[in-house]
Amino acid sequence: MKFMDWLDERLAVRQVIKVMLTEYYVPKNINFLWSFGVLIMLVFAILVVSGIFLLMYYKPDSHLAFDSVNKTIMMDVEYGWLFRHTHAVGASIMFLVLYIHMARGIYYGSFKAPREIVWITGYILFILMSATAFTGYLLPWGQMSYWAAQTITTLFEKIPFIGPDLVVWIRGNYIVEDATLTRFFALHVVFLPLLLIVFTAIHLYAVRIVGSNNEDGVELTKEEKKHGKGIPFWPVFMSKEFFVMSVFLIFFFYLVFYQYKFAMDPINFTPANYLQTPTHIYPEWYFLAFYEVLRGFFFSQNLGLIAFVLSMFIAAFLPWLDTSPIRSGKHRPIYKILFWIFIADFVFLTILGKLPPTGLYAWLGFAGSLVYFAFFLALPILSKIEKKKVAGGR
Amino acid sequence: MKELKILLILVIIVLIGYWGIEPYAHSVMYGEIKHPDFEYKDIPKNIPTTGDPAKGKELFIANCASCHGLKNDGINPGMDDNTAIASFKVVPPDLSNIGAIVDEHFLAYFIKNPQDATKNPKFAMPQMAQLSDEDIGNIVAYLKSVAKKNLDGKEITIEACSRCHSIKYQKIQAKTPEDALKEYLGKVPPDLSVIGRAKDVEYLESFINNPQNLLPGTSMPRLGLTKEATEKVVTYLDKIADPHRDQRRTLGIWVIGYLLVMAGLTYAWKKKIWKNVH
Repeated sequence: MKFMDWLDERLAVRQVIKVMLTEYYVPKNINFLWSFGVLIMLVFAILVVSGIFLLMYYKPDSHLAFDSVNKTIMMDVEYGWLFRHTHAVGASIMFLVLYIHMARGIYYGSFKAPREIVWITGYILFILMSATAFTGYLLPWGQMSYWAAQTITTLFEKIPFIGPDLVVWIRGNYIVEDATLTRFFALHVVFLPLLLIVFTAIHLYAVRIVGSNNEDGVELTKEEKKHGKGIPFWPVFMSKEFFVMSVFLIFFFYLVFYQYKFAMDPINFTPANYLQTPTHIYPEWYFLAFYEVLRGFFFSQNLGLIAFVLSMFIAAFLPWLDTSPIRSGKHRPIYKILFWIFIADFVFLTILGKLPPTGLYAWLGFAGSLVYFAFFLALPILSKIEKKKVAGGR
Repeated sequence: MKELKILLILVIIVLIGYWGIEPYAHSVMYGEIKHPDFEYKDIPKNIPTTGDPAKGKELFIANCASCHGLKNDGINPGMDDNTAIASFKVVPPDLSNIGAIVDEHFLAYFIKNPQDATKNPKFAMPQMAQLSDEDIGNIVAYLKSVAKKNLDGKEITIEACSRCHSIKYQKIQAKTPEDALKEYLGKVPPDLSVIGRAKDVEYLESFINNPQNLLPGTSMPRLGLTKEATEKVVTYLDKIADPHRDQRRTLGIWVIGYLLVMAGLTYAWKKKIWKNVH
């Protein structure tokens, strides 16, 4: 223990361990959905490690990229395929755990005061993660990489006045080309991950200050948590977390080894060709719901674009849309119904996003988009009703 | 119990989503893939496919050898590759083993009407109107008699595909240069190095059997490969596209086995720690 004393004198490690782990309490009445924050960290770590190995062999050059991924990494490098599979599946599963983490926050009202900063920084992390995924998806330089980037960057053309110039500025060329690849590469491996780390730090700091929410949405003081209503983060919470992680990893590596096609689209094993548009262009599954809003809103490109941007950012304003004094959805019967309609609608939009936007599918997509926004617009009204009810109850 | 219920809900939502974006969306986007027709039912079967190989050889030398070689029998083509490319925009194949990999009725009809047999109106080989059905029978008999049996997948793929397709990860270069192919077919045919990852086995078999079924208007000709030859080609393409499949499957078992043990240990530890919590 001499070394610990030495370190403690210089870095106050004992105090840090107390504050951060052994005397940091989380409420007892939480379920395993509260484990997803740490799961996100785990997936992020997996992505960083597998990404560094890929970086050792990947060539960010439009003439070399496809072969460096599909030949060098997938065939020649020992276990290179493992790192690529892990990275691709990791990126996809990152969004699954992110969405569950966010849905848990929405259901139990974790975005409400005093946790607005937690919610906002979390939302920024989601947007940053989306940008990281989008830029990373171009790197293998396959057909779907190319055309997804081409389609999404074209969207900026609709911005008034600066649109067309902006598109050229983003691409570094009139079409998606080598310049686009190298800048996306720079963003994907340096800039965006740095921002992700910075915002993760702020997010975690904010959580340490306000503490975790719980199933009942009842605010607990540190004393209450210390005496019966809480558990210390270490070792009690983390002992459960490790079990959740192990189970999660079984699922994760099952996908990596045996069920990876959803994350590695077969079409992307055809090299990018700017002369040949694929029959169906679609983003990865995690953007499909927003993509469906984009292409279906009142069947108009301009309105679609506005709705698309709104759909991606509206949830960031939840703390101000939902001002009901009752925090947890567990104690809000109407909210519960709205929530499940929203979840069903999100899954519905995700599925429609991959289907051809014709006939009935187009109408269903439009209806789904309206339901998506209706959820957010209903919240202020519901808040008013619940405020009255609470006031009357007193 | 409550946590298991939550897990169940999660699993159901994920499965519905997965079903929607993978099996369902794919069935809507690509429809059902037609089963390959290895009997080539649309090909007339009235041309004989048997006859006298010796006569067939004479006919071959008189009618075919100006463009086609037959190395198995020491016959060299009458023109070199460059002359052939200048006239046809494609290198004519050596026909040594064609009798072993192409269906005999297809082959007979092909000699008579290459454009109709391949379903490619611009197919480079001219119709052999000067040959009678009996002549064709003799030629087919000859081609069958000289062909090497038991070619493996790689050999068949080189014979059948590599006049137009490169497989650069296997260092196989298309015999016809790209610019000639572009003139002949309208575009450079795709490299086949990882086609086995881009398309599944079922699709490839059906496509090789009749490209027009899956890609109407494509300039890829129908080749008339037998069932056995098609399967060998597809197995080969599938294998070279995913050379580490066995390693992946074996390693997967070890990793998941390890994690199962981990899950057991972490569960035991959790139980121990939480014993005092409630």
